[in-house]
Amino acid sequence: VIRDAFRPGLRSSVTAAFALGALVLSVALSVGTYVSARHLLLEQRERTALRQAYADAALVRDGLATSGTSVSEALGAVAPPAGASMYVHRGGQWYSSSLDQSGEALTGVVQPAVDDGSVGLGWTSRTDPHAVVVGIPLPAVDAQYFEVAVAEELQTTLRTLAVALAVGAALTTLAGAALGRAASGRVLSPLRDVASAATDISDGDLNRRLQTTADPDLSMLVDSFNHMVDALHERIERDARFASDVSHELRTPLTTLTTSLALLQRTRDLSPRAKRAVNLMADELSRFRRALEDLLALGRLESGIDPSAQTITDVHELVRHAIATSGGAGEHVTTTVDSSRSLEVLVDRPQMVRALANLLRNAELHGGGVTGVGIEVDDTHVHIVVRDAGPGVPAEERQRIFERFARAGGTREGTGSGLGLSIVAETVRRHGGAVWCVDADGGGAEFVVRLPLAAGPEVRP
Amino acid sequence: MDGMTTRVLVLEDDIGLRTSLRLVLEDDGYEIEEAGDAETALGIVEGVDIMLVDLVLGGVDGFTFIRRARPQTQAPIVVISARDGVEDIVTALEAGADDYVTKPFDVVEVQARLRALLRRPSLATPASDSAGATDTAGQSAEVMVLDSVDGPLVFDRAAAHLRRGDREIHLTMTEYKLLTVLSDNMGRVLSRTALLEHVWDRGFFGDERIVDVHVRRLRKKLEIDPGQPATLVTVRGLGYRLDAR
Repeated sequence: VIRDAFRPGLRSSVTAAFALGALVLSVALSVGTYVSARHLLLEQRERTALRQAYADAALVRDGLATSGTSVSEALGAVAPPAGASMYVHRGGQWYSSSLDQSGEALTGVVQPAVDDGSVGLGWTSRTDPHAVVVGIPLPAVDAQYFEVAVAEELQTTLRTLAVALAVGAALTTLAGAALGRAASGRVLSPLRDVASAATDISDGDLNRRLQTTADPDLSMLVDSFNHMVDALHERIERDARFASDVSHELRTPLTTLTTSLALLQRTRDLSPRAKRAVNLMADELSRFRRALEDLLALGRLESGIDPSAQTITDVHELVRHAIATSGGAGEHVTTTVDSSRSLEVLVDRPQMVRALANLLRNAELHGGGVTGVGIEVDDTHVHIVVRDAGPGVPAEERQRIFERFARAGGTREGTGSGLGLSIVAETVRRHGGAVWCVDADGGGAEFVVRLPLAAGPEVRP
Repeated sequence: MDGMTTRVLVLEDDIGLRTSLRLVLEDDGYEIEEAGDAETALGIVEGVDIMLVDLVLGGVDGFTFIRRARPQTQAPIVVISARDGVEDIVTALEAGADDYVTKPFDVVEVQARLRALLRRPSLATPASDSAGATDTAGQSAEVMVLDSVDGPLVFDRAAAHLRRGDREIHLTMTEYKLLTVLSDNMGRVLSRTALLEHVWDRGFFGDERIVDVHVRRLRKKLEIDPGQPATLVTVRGLGYRLDAR
């Protein structure tokens, strides 16, 4: 698990791969460029040095050929090219145009060739920067001519080239990384669409689909995704329809049962045993009916809220009617209000009254009775708070009790339909609100329904 | 109507529910006419005082039955249906139904609906009407002029109809009752809840759209331009008010 946290994402991997590719490629190209450029430049430099040396050697030879001229005089008569030194080796003696004594050392690289009577060309690293050494035998005057030319500008050029290539390679690597990032982003963007669509769908928007695309690489993903959502949607609808159809089909027989039972209950000449049986039937039938009505209510909620059925309603009125509808649960309790503002919400009134009544009934059935009903308000929302005298709801159950057929701790079996709180949650959610459960101050549970206030809360004059 | 027993037509294709309703309502002293389909029911509709009508029937459906029955009788129609969609309720009411009860219902509720719709001071026995009219509201007159714009529009309580000039406009029982309550409170705003309570005998638990649909129907009969009501006006957010002009 910990290792996963350090695992690079797909995007980072693609970016790194692109950068590495760019680096390898640009380094290879740079090295190649450098090597061939260096080769070319060296060759050129050697040719120049050779040409210059030939010219200078000819002058020196001519000077020496003139009788009576010493080597120094002959050298002195020739102006050495910039950055070059001329040496003459004659009769075991070294003569130099620059009065230095390093002639023998500098020209060592070409001496064997010159001694063999041929022109020698080489490089010496004894100077800084390196220098081209050209040696030319002058058999006519029994001398050897050497010219050492420092390759100053060549060195500078190569260094500049190397820096330029290195910078180029670095930039290419960065560009590669950028390209990798962009490309992976482009490739991943359809996945992001898929992810956001999937989130919307799991949030309940079953009509959300991916936009169809002409891209052959993506169309398969898009088509199969949309197809999956279609199938899912259809299945959910089929299930919901089935539940609704079943509930619907049960309505008439249930009505017949309750009507006939009402007749039986009115009959006076029933034996006490028969009376007990009839009462038992009546209890069970009313429970059955509540469950059916709850199922139908949930089905209605799931088919969405009809905006035309929503009216602006005063919260106090809503709570009053919920108390009346719940069969008087919380009737004896004073409702506390922390505001003198007119508190209005936009709701489907029968639905919201039913939800609040469910909450009150829940407090009666599972919470030892309603101990308080409060209306609290902030800038944008109103909180309707129902407190009860029960043991409270354990923290780990607080989410679960709003699910269908969930019973807190599995106790008090058989008192409700098991759908009451899920209807509350669904109703409130459909109205853009939320419901939750906390411990009340001084024990008991506290259920809070949060609803958005209808546009523009006004202060009453 | 023979003035003695109240005849109730039960139009319901489910024989079980039909029979159980008959048993319960007979106990209440009603005389029951049963019909399993709309054609049969249309044949006996004129003799009955009130109807319980299911919407989903084999053959002609309940909506069509209500539309066809309305010209023949002013007797109240209570829909009993498993359909609880807003459109179904509104359609049935606009077709001419007076009330709507969804299955599964408590038979007690149906009994209460029947009693509420039958509780008419004047319609049943116009001769003995004066007592009923005065007990609802002392100040209201037997005959009142609602507008004098285009040939005076007269609401005749005793006769339970409207008259514009020489033309007589019939009212259903619910329309009559609604107009009675509104005219008792002439010039005052009545909330939908209050109207539900007074006309239909139920408070918040009823669907307020029942009121809106009946107001719309009543307007068609008493307004010169029902699209621009001047006599039965809507007070936004509060309810309805009857203004005599």
